[in-house]
Amino acid sequence: MYIIGENIHIISEKVKEALTARDSEFFMDLAVRQVEAGASAVDINMGPRKKDWAEVFPWIVKAVEQVVDVPLCIDTTNVDGMEAALQNITKAQPILNSTSAEPERLEKIPLLAKKYGAKVIALTMGSSGIPVEADARVNIAVETLIPRALEVGMPVQDLIIDPLVLTTSGCQQYCPHLIGAVQMLQYAWDPAPMISVGLSNVSNAVPNENRPLINRVYLSMLMGVGLQMMIANPFDQKQNDVIRWIENKDTSNPLAAVYNKIAERTGANEEPQPEDFDMSDPEQLAIWKTTQILLNKVIYADAYLNQ
Amino acid sequence: MPVEIPKDKWTGKVREVSFGATAADGGTRSKSIVVGGDTTLPYMQFEAPTPHTPVIAVEIKSRRPEDWSTLLEETWGDAMNDPASWAKAAEAAGADALVLWLTLADTPEDAVKATKAVLAASALPLMVFGPGQVEKDNELLVAVSEAAKGEKLVLGICEDKNYRTIVATAMANGHLVSARTPMDVNLAKQLNILITDMGLPANRIIMDPTTGALGYGIEYGYSVMERLRLASLQGDGMTQFPMMVTVGFEAWKAKESKVGTGVPEAWGDWKARAIHWETLTTTALLESGASIVVLRHPESMKRIRAAINELMAA
Repeated sequence: MYIIGENIHIISEKVKEALTARDSEFFMDLAVRQVEAGASAVDINMGPRKKDWAEVFPWIVKAVEQVVDVPLCIDTTNVDGMEAALQNITKAQPILNSTSAEPERLEKIPLLAKKYGAKVIALTMGSSGIPVEADARVNIAVETLIPRALEVGMPVQDLIIDPLVLTTSGCQQYCPHLIGAVQMLQYAWDPAPMISVGLSNVSNAVPNENRPLINRVYLSMLMGVGLQMMIANPFDQKQNDVIRWIENKDTSNPLAAVYNKIAERTGANEEPQPEDFDMSDPEQLAIWKTTQILLNKVIYADAYLNQ
Repeated sequence: MPVEIPKDKWTGKVREVSFGATAADGGTRSKSIVVGGDTTLPYMQFEAPTPHTPVIAVEIKSRRPEDWSTLLEETWGDAMNDPASWAKAAEAAGADALVLWLTLADTPEDAVKATKAVLAASALPLMVFGPGQVEKDNELLVAVSEAAKGEKLVLGICEDKNYRTIVATAMANGHLVSARTPMDVNLAKQLNILITDMGLPANRIIMDPTTGALGYGIEYGYSVMERLRLASLQGDGMTQFPMMVTVGFEAWKAKESKVGTGVPEAWGDWKARAIHWETLTTTALLESGASIVVLRHPESMKRIRAAINELMAA
């Protein structure tokens, strides 16, 4: 699993404080620790920085590149800021996060990627929003995103399609379709573009204590249909366990076997079945309940595990 | 050529819930009302009969309301001056049940007095709702609940920010609760879980998924109701509750029904329009699965009664 570490994100209070104080040590430490925990790239989300982008973007990439060699993923809606970052990156091939199929972004971002030899994450979202159905999302990739990359002369392999994970709390009907989209995108073009998702979006607006479980179960389903790249928290040890168990087909303990079974079922276009779980084990019961909300079989509620 | 109508078979069932206790159950009501028990989408009689006729409840207030449309004042007249005479008038107009809505001006003593007056004036099953302010609701409803112990009232309104006290008093005094959430399936289910977690038996909950009037968000209201009913039929236990909607409250907030002046002439006769507003809002929600509709105007009640009879006979 290629993890783009998500922890340098302006939504975090600590990140906000460190940025205000221009505390480069904080960012260097957070970047190093993410890579040590298994991140293959590091996302950098400083927000749009409308006023100070010319100073902030070069500063942050220079700081982080002092200590890590992995690709940096420049996560902003500010195109000028993106370019300022690109001009200062000297190590690995960077990733731009992101464009969508909206005309204005699709016009500018791929050109920037071409100019600097960067990869681009492209969201399957047009001006009219995010479609529910899997094939509608795949259509955006095939009819709009990939043609635009080819048009500007980018190799398709530098395009990373993100079919958009939405939260089970409120957008539940999207969750099963996203699994289908990940599956279909792998056959949508030859050569296939890469596919990445923002995993933890699946548990946005979910109480914190339940988020990691929902993330893990969804991850096992997505790995079942071949997901190999995601923006995620590399410090989540239980999530890393799931990745390891599924990648190595390790079924040596009951939980590993359950997560592998979910991946296997999902990959075979089947749904997890009650007999796959030892319902007397509270942890497995919770995993079963989580599969049911993620597949939109049972309506999500914050207290869904109590049902 | 014979056409075979496809039929859906569902595994789940909406819970049957009854309110209003007769003398046999330790209360003073003339009848109990049972709602729920549905095993298919509303009025798909060819798949399974609709087990219980939907209930028309009438909204009355503990004090004469100042902000109701003059059309409603004309029709109820002086009966609005006190809840007992209003209750009698509502029963005479054909109500199946009554909703006594308390006001912010009420003290617990006022609330108890009004409740007892209504219980004495009419033997219809009764729901009692607080004015909608947390502390006031709790204060009034606990007093009412204790004073009417055993009557199997429906106490409202439980919301996610305020349900514990009302649920506790309903448990202690043999009443039911109405669980209201703002047009959201996830929140509706969440509140049902929280209330049953407290120990109130599930067959003493009626859910109010909230609605908007025709032209004011009704499509959100009925989509949520449809989704909840589908989830019930698919076996999701924490959505399997009968639904009530306070249609009169919503429909009479709409400008189209509330006022007769300062609106385009093309809107036509005010009274006809106002009744249509309440009636059309109600029929749409009945067809999305409402088991109890709370109305305000007697003419709307008549028309809804006719619509229900047709739906049940179909």
